[in-house]
Amino acid sequence: MGVLVEAKSLYVGYKNEPIIRNANFKIYTKDFVFLTGVSGSGKTTIIKSLYGEVPVLKGSLNVGGIELNKIRKSKLSYLRKYLGVVFQDYKLIPEWTILKNVMLPMLIAGIDKKTAEEEAMKLLNKVKLSHKLDKFPAELSGGEQQRAAIARAIIHDPVMILADEPISGLDEYSANLVMELFIMANREKDITIMIASHYLPQTFNINYRQIHLEKGQVYELS
Amino acid sequence: MNSLKSHAALILALISILISIFLFRLFNNVLHQYQQNILNNYSIVIVSEKEINHLDIKEIGKIEKIDISKQLNSMKRKFKNLNLASIKMPYFYKLKLKTLPSPQKLNEIEQTLKSYPYIKRVLTYRSSQTKIYNLLMLLKITSNLFMIIIAVLGFLLIIKQLEVWKLEHNERMYIMELFGAPFWFRGAALFKIAFIDSIIALLSTFAIIFYMQNSIMYKTILKDLNISLNMNMQQEFLILLIVSFSISLLSSAVVVIGRNK
Repeated sequence: MGVLVEAKSLYVGYKNEPIIRNANFKIYTKDFVFLTGVSGSGKTTIIKSLYGEVPVLKGSLNVGGIELNKIRKSKLSYLRKYLGVVFQDYKLIPEWTILKNVMLPMLIAGIDKKTAEEEAMKLLNKVKLSHKLDKFPAELSGGEQQRAAIARAIIHDPVMILADEPISGLDEYSANLVMELFIMANREKDITIMIASHYLPQTFNINYRQIHLEKGQVYELS
Repeated sequence: MNSLKSHAALILALISILISIFLFRLFNNVLHQYQQNILNNYSIVIVSEKEINHLDIKEIGKIEKIDISKQLNSMKRKFKNLNLASIKMPYFYKLKLKTLPSPQKLNEIEQTLKSYPYIKRVLTYRSSQTKIYNLLMLLKITSNLFMIIIAVLGFLLIIKQLEVWKLEHNERMYIMELFGAPFWFRGAALFKIAFIDSIIALLSTFAIIFYMQNSIMYKTILKDLNISLNMNMQQEFLILLIVSFSISLLSSAVVVIGRNK
């Protein structure tokens, strides 16, 4: 497995105030990584820094061969096309239907509408939302919206999915369904998965690594 | 309903700007035509001891000799004892100017003419010319000021609309940005609105202009002023089209670039 993400003596944060200090970690291709830690430990900051939303203050952060401390905005768009992002609050476009929301990364990649639509329908079927494709996000439950968000994150076969607290606030059934989707993406599509979460799932049928955050320090546990 | 309001705000702002630009150009054209009419009917009369073919004053466009034979014949009939042959008659000239001069400029011309030793009299009809000139300037300044105020109000409306757009489109653009959408993709919806609105505004403006130009009052005023407008409406359409597209597309680009982080 090759190295997909490498952080060396990394400091990230806002306005020159580091939230993560002197972090060193590696994420490999096809990895399944849990980023754990209590609230405020910097999980979201790490996730955001990986798609370039939080700036690198010091050290080096390399994602897929791109140095994020030297990245230009145009290059950032290029990087993001190869990532899939899942948020706790789903971040679906409210005025778009679920189908169109899922199609988004393919439309951005310039793939024709018909192909994108077919692919989105297939995925919505997989995430058990084929009956909701014409609905708007507000008409779906939290679990359903998150499944749609995962479908959107994997539709363009990204190299890595970054998920920030994807199951918090979901009921057990929905949380399990969402985790199964991540496993499926990892196993079937070889997508590297990084999930920021307060805790590790109790029953989890996959080999994973854990990166733990505590007071801005990063520890690779397994 | 909100979407309709959003469209209406931009369309109204654009219409007010486009109309003010058109009226600005129209008024200037009308005033220019009117100035030309006055200029055609205006001349400085000079009396000279010798014949003049050329005067070294750049404002003077044409020198026309005034034929006084009619007046002389009339005098001959009235004063039969008068021996006109023994009198050396002066030469009378009408000086046509290139542009309508300001009162100061007219004074300068008068003084220059008077400085020629062979020019004995200079008649500028300054009093009536000054009144007309000042009236035209007042009209020009007032109309231009009025148009500028309308245009500024239009721009203020657009700035307000930009704030509304920022709120309406911020979330969608942010999500698109997270997935690496390029500038044109993020702004596509806004650019589409801007494009449609500018077309609607342009057509509405031309409908208003068409109505105005075909109104009896408008035609009567121009006829009374003896003005035939030489505005190329295709050119005006093109100018307003460029202005309309530029403003609306620039406004939407500002929103996309200045998206709140």
